[in-house]
Amino acid sequence: MSGRRVVITGIASQWGAELARRLARDPALEYVAGIDTHPPSADLERTDFIEADLRSPLLSRLLPSTEADTVVHCGILWYPELGKPAGALHEINVIGTLQLLAACERTPTLERVVVRGSAAIYGCEAASPAFFTEDLARRLPLRTRFQRDISELEEYFDNFSRRHSRLTCCMLRYQPEIGPELETPLVRYLTLPVVPTQLGYDPRLQLLHADDATGALEAAVRNPVRGPVNVAPTGAISLSRLLRLARRPGVPLPHPLFGPAMERVGRRLGVGPLLGDAIRMLRYGRGIDNRRLREEVGYEPRFDAVDAVRDFAGKTDGRRLGPRLHAGALAERLAGAGR
Amino acid sequence: MTVGTDTREGPLAGPEALADFLRNMRVGVEAGLDPLTAAQRAAGSLPTQLREAADAIARRLQGEYSEDEWGFDEEFAEAMFPIFDFLYSVWWRVEAEGARHVPSHGRALLVSNHAGSLFPFDAGMITMALMKTHPLPRWPRFMVLDWAFALPFISSFMRRVGGIPASPHNARRVLEQDETVMVFPEGVKGTGKPFSERYRLQRFGRGGFVEVALRTGAPIVPIAVVGSEEIYPKLGESRTLARATGAPFVPLTPTFPWFGLFGLIPLPSRWRIEFCEPIHLSDHPPEAADDPRVVFDLSEEVRETIQAKLYENLVKRGSAFF
Repeated sequence: MSGRRVVITGIASQWGAELARRLARDPALEYVAGIDTHPPSADLERTDFIEADLRSPLLSRLLPSTEADTVVHCGILWYPELGKPAGALHEINVIGTLQLLAACERTPTLERVVVRGSAAIYGCEAASPAFFTEDLARRLPLRTRFQRDISELEEYFDNFSRRHSRLTCCMLRYQPEIGPELETPLVRYLTLPVVPTQLGYDPRLQLLHADDATGALEAAVRNPVRGPVNVAPTGAISLSRLLRLARRPGVPLPHPLFGPAMERVGRRLGVGPLLGDAIRMLRYGRGIDNRRLREEVGYEPRFDAVDAVRDFAGKTDGRRLGPRLHAGALAERLAGAGR
Repeated sequence: MTVGTDTREGPLAGPEALADFLRNMRVGVEAGLDPLTAAQRAAGSLPTQLREAADAIARRLQGEYSEDEWGFDEEFAEAMFPIFDFLYSVWWRVEAEGARHVPSHGRALLVSNHAGSLFPFDAGMITMALMKTHPLPRWPRFMVLDWAFALPFISSFMRRVGGIPASPHNARRVLEQDETVMVFPEGVKGTGKPFSERYRLQRFGRGGFVEVALRTGAPIVPIAVVGSEEIYPKLGESRTLARATGAPFVPLTPTFPWFGLFGLIPLPSRWRIEFCEPIHLSDHPPEAADDPRVVFDLSEEVRETIQAKLYENLVKRGSAFF
């Protein structure tokens, strides 16, 4: 990364801030700047903060002035901020990306663009391949709004990379992350004292450990490859096993009631809405193949799908209601007693 | 479960042991111990089997069991074994032949005819045949019509016992992991054919299974299953019910839906399963998968093998039910 000048959009998000923190540790890096509408909550040393809205045309003048050679787009939101309507997501994600790409066109120093996108583009279907590879996007109907948005912005990005073949354009397709510090609706959902599930469905999930989420992003910034790259842990875990490992009882609800119920519970408990994509994922599950990430980008996730959940369960064990029932320790002692 | 040589081990020791356990536990708790320690002390009075069962249950409740990336749960499959063994040995009196043709290690594609309109049990019975008669058995996986994965309960059950949504992507991936995979190339056309056309093989799709075998280098083991056609004889079908449920077809059998849930009990036909000699495709390069003529010829070869074996085994079986 010697002499690199990196600009990170969405610096106030946990992803942007964490990436900036890691990059700033590299002394060979020349310059890091972050763009967002509000300053990051944590103090980031060595990182210039540029206050700007991605959706504004002003960006086309700001970005060239940084003389950046690498742009990392972390400004794609998976869920609206608490209290904001879900409709605003489209504006932020699609229009924001469009403006950013327009600004990239006017930045002659640019060499690489990395976008932190979403695996939601594949959707969640009963009939889908168990592990999507990168070439399988858009084979199935685009069902949720978020999925359509991601598909649209990927189309813009594809066009952009085709027109600028000298640039390395990398689209990262992330599975949802879990981590005790994360404040996402899915994490809040999984830390409810009792977790509603959809009766009769036991989806296969891949939840990415927060460390690997940043690790993969950093690896992709250092060694970007062209085209889409799936970012997911190796393997998969079923929701029922996840809840058992996390020691949280599930409450099965008939699946047509799940969405509305979560909306109500979500509003009351401040969970935030589980959007259509998450609801479908908690019914049919989604697996993606991470071979390209491991072999081409060269990032080996530290946690596989099960270990990510174990780590999460270990760190969120305190966040629960009622006494802890140590069934495992009990069983071990029972088994050990007679020997 | 391992059978120990513990002296206390009786015929599951009965209620006395449990009463002893509870009594000892109460004594412990009254003596000021926490429930955990009390249970530990009291457990000495439990017979080994009970203790092991409690251990296994507690372990599962904690999520400490293995499950592969497809959702296959070996312990769950083993727990289902007695039910399927009953169907295999008592209900359908299955006779299996040639299980040794299935390789005991490495990948293999098992190709079978498909029948049993309401619930095809052929995958389950082929699995049982392998588990009971193969010298080195391992759990095979099977491709299931993806519609089943949209259904509650059925989807999670199928996944746990080794079902995988039918798609060439999935078939390739699981074969590359050196598993044995069962496919039913007739698909819905096989299960949905009327009783009058029993044991007449339908078209083998577009030969997708041959493409997968060529690309992965897996040998094809043709399997002929006799008996599956008589379990739910399909006399007609209800288009209205099919449209209402989204099912590919809803069969009318002599008992279903007239007798409600009782109609779901399969008829006790007599079964025969024959595993044929494996067909090795190693003399074809993987690129042959793109040649429709090669694919079609191989697909036809497998189909004819199975058809011939079906007729042979029908004669060997004799009467369908007795």
